[in-house]
Amino acid sequence: MFSTKLRNVEEELGGDFGEFAGWSMPMSYGSYLEEHLAVRNWAAFFDLSHMGRLMIRGKKAEFDYLVAKRTEDANAGKMVGPTAFLTERGTFVDDVMVYVVDGSSWLVVTNAVNREKVINWIRRNSGLEVEDLTFDYAMIAVQGRKVWDFMEKVELQPLNFVLGKEYMGIKTFLLSRSGWTGEDGVEVWAKPEEIEHLLRFLKERGVRPAGLIARDSLRQEMGFVLYGEDIDENTTPIEARYWVFSMEKEFLGREALKEQLRSGVNKLRIGIKLKKGERTIPRRDSKIMLEGQQVGVITSSTYSPYLNRPIGMGYMNTSHFLLGYSVDVEVRGKRLEAKLSDFPLV
Amino acid sequence: MERKSKYLVLKDRLYTDSDEWVKIDGDIAVVGITDYAQKKLRDIIGVDLPKPDTRVKRGDPVAVVESVKAAADIYAPMDGIISEANERLLDSPELINKDPYGEGWIFKVKLTEKPEGLLEAEKYMEKIGE
Repeated sequence: MFSTKLRNVEEELGGDFGEFAGWSMPMSYGSYLEEHLAVRNWAAFFDLSHMGRLMIRGKKAEFDYLVAKRTEDANAGKMVGPTAFLTERGTFVDDVMVYVVDGSSWLVVTNAVNREKVINWIRRNSGLEVEDLTFDYAMIAVQGRKVWDFMEKVELQPLNFVLGKEYMGIKTFLLSRSGWTGEDGVEVWAKPEEIEHLLRFLKERGVRPAGLIARDSLRQEMGFVLYGEDIDENTTPIEARYWVFSMEKEFLGREALKEQLRSGVNKLRIGIKLKKGERTIPRRDSKIMLEGQQVGVITSSTYSPYLNRPIGMGYMNTSHFLLGYSVDVEVRGKRLEAKLSDFPLV
Repeated sequence: MERKSKYLVLKDRLYTDSDEWVKIDGDIAVVGITDYAQKKLRDIIGVDLPKPDTRVKRGDPVAVVESVKAAADIYAPMDGIISEANERLLDSPELINKDPYGEGWIFKVKLTEKPEGLLEAEKYMEKIGE
């Protein structure tokens, strides 16, 4: 198993470690509920050093063919994404964030679970050169509704980044205005020892350390998908209603998506909200029931401390994509009332 | 009171292999989950409680403690009859996190025979010390 290089400082801060995608990472620092609310109300930082980070160099046309979304008109310093690498069947190899460095180099952030698969897939499908930076730099996100009360304001528009900048007293490799929580903030890649300094400083300033459980509940409130839970090599972006592709360009998987747009889909991703005060959490593979028959399935779920109820997402048969209607979710023999909802859930 | 690593284990009660604690007072046994168990489950969101007067056998799943991580079954540590369940947990399940050995107790069993196979604090500490 891999381990974050920030482990020492995170243990000092009370981090409770667990395994995620082959990495030992802080899952929480005591209470994910409080960490979640810290992001919605103030600010918190997350260790994202498990995320796969690749530098890709080579011909622009070759890279562009691999990426489902338009990148050719994005200038250096812009992030394109989320977008995806797709199979020929139009299903997800991975959903990724692309950073345009210049006309012949790009940074790509992959899901931790897919890092090696993506490296091999790029090499198999192109002549592009791939360099794995994952183990060279630590990565953190600082996110929150009041993030600029704690952090030095960055001169970046959302989804823009800059390389090699000094920020809050440390030398960064990459600084971007981005995140995955629905709140404003930054993501920072830097040498682990630099980030250690920053984390201690942030903690002193009152930025709350947060773990991957809070990150998961925050992304679910926003309706963001997690690879391996909500999307995989058997799901297309159309079924996931995850608009990570541009049909006006050529890309690997385009023909399959075109065919699916023509013929339609059998399932579509939907959000669910249970009733306030409900304290049983649906689980992955819980059945969504209506009139005694299964009409959908849960893929992710959690308890939202912001909404005080369990929430989640899953897939509905398109015949029963009844946004706004209440259905039952079956959990351990119990039938729980759940409202079919669109994203974001907050 | 003794600490083994990060987890509190109390000497005034007995333990099970499945991380319940049992405090016996006369013919009534109070049951909850250990500090180790609540820390592994993390924030507890809800509980399913057993109904009083239910007859239970040692090893029966009688309650569920629900967290984002898992819905964990809580087993009857001995044969008996459920005499009471901690209904405060229905609205405040976080009591199990805050005070696992006190206000976070889960149910009480009226013993029908002498309990067997429970672990002393020392043995339980060894078990979770790993």
